[in-house]
Amino acid sequence: MEWTPQRIGVRWMLCRREEERIVRKLGLRDGSGDLARRHPIIDFHVHPGFSRSHRDQREVMERILREARFHHVERLCVSALGDLAESPTPAQVREANDDVLSLMSQYREVVGFCYLNPRYPDEALQEIERCFAAGMAGIKLLISCKASDPLVCPIAARAAELRAPILQHAWYKRQGQMESESTPADVAVLAARHPATMIVMAHLTGAGERGIAEIAPYENLSVDTSGSEPEAGITEMAVRKLGGRRVVFGTDASGRGYGAALGKVYGARLPARVKALILGGNAARLLARRASGAPADNRPKPAAIPGGGGAGR
Amino acid sequence: MRLDAAAYLGSWPFRAVEGTTRGLSGMMQELGLDHALVSSLPALFHADPEPANRDLLRRLSPTRQSRYGDGAKNRPELWAAPAVNLHMADAAGYISRLARDPKVRAVQLAPGFHGYATSQTGADCAATAQPLEEVVAAVADAGLAAVIQLRMQDERSHPPTTSIPPVPIEEAIALAERVPTARIVVAAARQGELENRSHAERIRALPNLWLTTTHLDGVGCIRRACDAVGVERLLFGTCWPFFYAKSALLKVEEAALSGTESDLLMGGNARKAFGR
Repeated sequence: MEWTPQRIGVRWMLCRREEERIVRKLGLRDGSGDLARRHPIIDFHVHPGFSRSHRDQREVMERILREARFHHVERLCVSALGDLAESPTPAQVREANDDVLSLMSQYREVVGFCYLNPRYPDEALQEIERCFAAGMAGIKLLISCKASDPLVCPIAARAAELRAPILQHAWYKRQGQMESESTPADVAVLAARHPATMIVMAHLTGAGERGIAEIAPYENLSVDTSGSEPEAGITEMAVRKLGGRRVVFGTDASGRGYGAALGKVYGARLPARVKALILGGNAARLLARRASGAPADNRPKPAAIPGGGGAGR
Repeated sequence: MRLDAAAYLGSWPFRAVEGTTRGLSGMMQELGLDHALVSSLPALFHADPEPANRDLLRRLSPTRQSRYGDGAKNRPELWAAPAVNLHMADAAGYISRLARDPKVRAVQLAPGFHGYATSQTGADCAATAQPLEEVVAAVADAGLAAVIQLRMQDERSHPPTTSIPPVPIEEAIALAERVPTARIVVAAARQGELENRSHAERIRALPNLWLTTTHLDGVGCIRRACDAVGVERLLFGTCWPFFYAKSALLKVEEAALSGTESDLLMGGNARKAFGR
């Protein structure tokens, strides 16, 4: 069956009903990590290595997919970043996106995310049209400029029109922060300027408690679970401050692996339904927006209920 | 035997962690582990780690464990790796005293935390009462292993006020080369450090050196580590309660190790590294 964002959403909803039925039948107050495994898992943050060679990228992608399949990860949101140039030229960006389009045609699990350099505004908008016409479903922004830079605004506005999520790199680094590298505060500025744009900030562990506090007020801003080692308590902290619907599973493969990344969710002291949201439900909702055409829900909401209405021990 | 070669008890100064004996017991039960080598988190930060070590040994005593276990039969075997700071006078004497306790199977050395160099040419070396090499030889003489703690946390994510430098892995390898009688366990090496061709070749040639799996990451990390240095050199470790222990187990599961490889990684190698 060919993949569409809508199908992922439907599949996830069916699984959620199944989970609720099981929980009722067994009289469980809480689920186990195994229950969460019943849900389709979506990895929101994958790169096919940093080689320019298509052959190398396919090899890396094969390794990633082998591990993803072992862990029942069904969809991988993949963006290519070329050779990680700080400010890639439009030609380099196009080449990287062509690599992803090629992977999309080869592997049904791959959901393409379009890599952009906001420093080339016209070319970036053209690249969005080209990539989305070819089936990509999201946008990836790295370190070309800070998320708070007005250069990002046209991209964010177009993403809102397309109802496509933006995956934005960010980190609070004790050492090695690059001049144009975003912090969570920068991403919060972007989210405030564009409330109709759904943004996922990469690297929960890189954001830490400070970063999560900074993005908490913006309902259109989520965080992915990637970044660094699997420090215990970090996932629970994010759910406590953002709610269970704003935490999205991501690995940052191939640099990071599925075992360590999934342990951050399976090992967290959270109810099964919250784990299911993190593992796939939230990503499915973000990806399905584009297909559903439903009006964006950007109304201000009350402070996050711990665990998305169900977190806790 | 299924052993966690890198577990900890106690508190971490920068965030809450569940470093209790009860939590450790629960984690081991969940992961199907029956042995653990345990160190003290506070001892990493104390200039004199002796009180923290004493607390660690008290927590690991069978009497105290029995409060949380369900009988002696199912009680996990907990071994200790107390920390020694080379800036303390008479580190060697302290080590020989520690070795009298049968629970003590290793000594933890954390140069980054306690602020001394690992090489004899290091700038801080003169400031220590005894050079690291001599202390490691004393550890070997006492029948213990020496755990060299390279780091705990990603250096990029250290607290704004505190940066703890990592120990270069090549210095730990050189130490194992210089003191062949010592059993050296390198804790918290990263994937790239281990896969570095020069490091890997030297590690393969050292029968007295092992590495924990705690900080290995990346697609296929455990399989790649086995290919780089050989499964005989690896010790399963969780870094609990600092890391989610589940991550450590999932990394092993996805590696699809053979029965023999799994036995070595999960406990067989640890018998050699920590046997007394």
